[in-house]
Amino acid sequence: MATFLIRRLIQMFLVLIASAVVSYVLLYFAPGGPMTGLRQTQQSGRNKISADDIARIKQRFELDLYIPYRFTRWLVGFPAGPVTIAGQTFLADVAAGCKTPGMVRLRYPDGRTEIIEEGCEVPITFADLVDRRTSRGILFGDFGLSQVMLRDRPISTLIASRLPYTLQLMGASILISIAIGVPLGIYSAVRQYSRFDYAMTTVSFVGSSLPTFVIGIICILVFAIGAKEAGFIYLPPGNAVSNKDYVIPYIGEVIASSTLDRVLHFIMPLGVLVFVNIAGYSRFIRSGMLEVLRQDYVRTARAKGLRERTVVLKHALRNAILPFITLLAGVMAELFGGAAITEAIFNWPGLGRLLVDSIERNDYSVTMGLTMVSIFLLLLGYLITDILYSILDPRIRLS
Amino acid sequence: MLKQQLLRRAGLLFITALVIPMIAACGQAPEVQVIKETVVVKETAEPVATTEAVAPVVTDTSFTTPHPLLGDVRIRQAIAFCTNRPELIKSVYPFLTEEQQQGLLMDTFLPKSHWAATTEGITTYAFDPEKGKALLKEAGYEDGANVETGAPLFLRFTTTNAGFRQTWATVLEQQLADNCGITIARTHAPGSWWFGDTTGLSRRDYELGAFAWVGQADPGGISLYACNQIPLPSNNWEGQNGMGWCNEAASKAIIAANNTLDRAERIKQYAIVQQEFTKDMVSLPLFNRAEAAAANVNLKNFKPNPTEYYTHNAGEWELPGKDALVLGFTQEPASLYTLVESAAVATTAAQLISQLAVTSLDYDYQPVGFTKLPSIGDGATNADVEVKAGDMVWSTSGEAVALAKDVEVTNAAGETVVWDGAAPLTMKQLTVTFEYKPGMKWQDGSPVTKADFELGHKTTCDKESGATTFTFCDSVMTFTQESDTTQTLAFLPGVQWPTFYTGGFGPAPSKQPIESEGAYKGKTLADVPAKDWPTLPEVAEMPWSNGPYKIVSWEKGQKMVFEANENYGGTPAKIKTITIQFFEDTNQAVAQLLTGDIDVLGSETLGAGAEVQSVVDAAAKGKVQVVTIASPTWEHVDMNLFVK
Repeated sequence: MATFLIRRLIQMFLVLIASAVVSYVLLYFAPGGPMTGLRQTQQSGRNKISADDIARIKQRFELDLYIPYRFTRWLVGFPAGPVTIAGQTFLADVAAGCKTPGMVRLRYPDGRTEIIEEGCEVPITFADLVDRRTSRGILFGDFGLSQVMLRDRPISTLIASRLPYTLQLMGASILISIAIGVPLGIYSAVRQYSRFDYAMTTVSFVGSSLPTFVIGIICILVFAIGAKEAGFIYLPPGNAVSNKDYVIPYIGEVIASSTLDRVLHFIMPLGVLVFVNIAGYSRFIRSGMLEVLRQDYVRTARAKGLRERTVVLKHALRNAILPFITLLAGVMAELFGGAAITEAIFNWPGLGRLLVDSIERNDYSVTMGLTMVSIFLLLLGYLITDILYSILDPRIRLS
Repeated sequence: MLKQQLLRRAGLLFITALVIPMIAACGQAPEVQVIKETVVVKETAEPVATTEAVAPVVTDTSFTTPHPLLGDVRIRQAIAFCTNRPELIKSVYPFLTEEQQQGLLMDTFLPKSHWAATTEGITTYAFDPEKGKALLKEAGYEDGANVETGAPLFLRFTTTNAGFRQTWATVLEQQLADNCGITIARTHAPGSWWFGDTTGLSRRDYELGAFAWVGQADPGGISLYACNQIPLPSNNWEGQNGMGWCNEAASKAIIAANNTLDRAERIKQYAIVQQEFTKDMVSLPLFNRAEAAAANVNLKNFKPNPTEYYTHNAGEWELPGKDALVLGFTQEPASLYTLVESAAVATTAAQLISQLAVTSLDYDYQPVGFTKLPSIGDGATNADVEVKAGDMVWSTSGEAVALAKDVEVTNAAGETVVWDGAAPLTMKQLTVTFEYKPGMKWQDGSPVTKADFELGHKTTCDKESGATTFTFCDSVMTFTQESDTTQTLAFLPGVQWPTFYTGGFGPAPSKQPIESEGAYKGKTLADVPAKDWPTLPEVAEMPWSNGPYKIVSWEKGQKMVFEANENYGGTPAKIKTITIQFFEDTNQAVAQLLTGDIDVLGSETLGAGAEVQSVVDAAAKGKVQVVTIASPTWEHVDMNLFVK
């Protein structure tokens, strides 16, 4: 077991680094960035952007550093300046970037000229990095500063403000979905081709097919706007809490930020997520159970005269649940990552919405931070799944 | 056997490596000797110039050959006549009345209500396909082809892939084809390419190119229309006149309009530019974008304006029977420190806690915190001063430089001169005194003092402050805060800001205590270096107010809460609490407006998308009030006069 854990932890670390490189490079090549917007602004009079201004903007976003150094500064906080060992300074003159690119004028025989960038006029050395803000590196738990969304302030503040809401929504939805979806799937498989099975498969088919945003918008139109206009009990269309007190028919006045207010706001996003998850989980369990229930050992168990309940729960389910455990490997990442679309539709202030926001607003340090945590949790989920496998299935030996 | 295979493969590789380049070279142009010079990035008195021969560079004729079609003014005018702009407006703003749609039409680069807009002497292009076809015929084109050569009347049209532009561009394509036989091939590129540093617009990579500019109270325009602002490979693509339009009269006029302080003269010069602009038809102004703002039907004094953020008069808002109001934003401000964060949402929120010096309503300026707008002879002077070598002056390229031989400046007579290093030189020096209304106070009740203004100036002009540009700071020779309410700025000789009267440097609360954890805890704002202001919660999140409201909380990702500032020096705000709720999705914001959970959606949130129809319908039923305004952002089609 210990050997297995050590091996898996090393693998996890390597996968994490590889994922970090790939994600970072992909975002590096993503179009757009802080300089793009300047082209859309009239560069006249007081708004004129000088070469010094451009250099400053590039410095703020570290665009003046070479990509490998930008990556290592983000990952492990190196280089943050020259390396000092026993009072001796090393690498002070190593170029980490370019402050001012070299400019070359090409003069063609026909008289035309063209100015192009070539080489570097003023390089940035390790010594120049001393005065720059440098994070300790994401591997050491320092997410760095947000560049756009919460300008120059810690990303951890952003994450901390959203995490409780995401854990609340995702935790509740996953637990309820498992609690309902698994029994439904089992029952549906055991009662295959029954009316219940047809009804369940139809509903779960609808749940799996309709995108979350469609279900969300329908819910808002029916349970919030429509119900309110019709004078029925209605639910708030979005947010985690209300900004002002309101009155709901048959319930009475709801005080903003009260427990009732929070519960009412929670119902719709939770309902949508539970509906969609149940649809997926129950279909998965149903198909697994159907396969197992046809196996010889199940027939043998029945032939032995075991009670149907024991056959289903002890013999069939234990085998059918194994693929479902794999599905749950992503739960931890999901718990952290949130449900971007549902959160956006219901204006739930969770991490999923934060991720979407950060991508839309090109706040790559936030995007990368969230991505890295999700990758880590996903890998951790797989590790836990493997361990669970060995517990649930005695045939599996981790050693 | 294996050895033979290896040898064969090696032989093949050798042939491939040797022969293919030879064959390829046969088809190429003969080698061209190109001289390569190292140029200094920032020009100094002695330009460095080394030369060396380099490898061949593909010969081209970038932007020196007139475009075979767009180089002909008749074809450009024909495109304008063949475009049915009201129909384009209708395609994107079906919810507007016909009158409102007409109000969005533009004839020049200025909206009709702008103080510098003219109707005299300009050429207008009302939809008239017959005129268009006649012009095309005159240019040698009939039924979509050249009469002599049969070459098709075909143009590439490039713009962004925004849904809004795809809609009207589809209609435009149809109009040009049906009305005049002009075929356009549309490319809807990602904004990142179209507005990229080295792609799209910046490299003039288009024939017909559509995008938008944002109109302002001060029309500016030099970088867009002056002859020396044409981006070319030879000037490292400096300038924004991507059409390559060089009309001497227009160019002189736009420079003159931006180098005089006399508004009557500016109007005259801008009229010349508009006349030439429309006559040459180098850019077809289509329409101002429409924007809608919606609010609780009972909200009074809600007055959105095209050139000012809608919270400019938040202190005057009234909601009878209620003391709380909720605004909806589809973007959360990154910071309330407006020196480093200029996004519309940040400014809209920051206006609640700021004493505005001036407003810019309806494309003009009005004093609010100032007692008056200074003018020459009444608070400002524009004196002739003699300058000598070494004096700091403002060059024609818009930079502060030490006067030396070969520096180009504008002299007191308004002429552009290259100084010879010896001749006497007289330049204009602008000095402006701003008078603030007395009684300005911070939220703790302490008065706004001279020290606060001095701190504001010091921080604003600190190169480490995080501000994007320092052009205005660099143009100031001396800053003098004479008292708690009087500030005088003397600009460098040569600075002639046409909007000099709009303001100097605002105050910063020097005595605001720093309570957040960190190196400055227990100190005051005056003790914090400018470079750390953007990261300080006391500046970025909970700044002291001298406006009608003060911020009391900011829950990230959710909302900001403001309360009426009891120590505000002006008229107290009528609504006690204003909450700004953040949304990811406009549909959700509209849903909450309709259910009464929020009270105001500004134009920066509601925009002019499909959601507007919902609020217009709700307004028709009396549930909300909707204000539609012609946005200062205007769509146009630029025509590249030269071949790439």
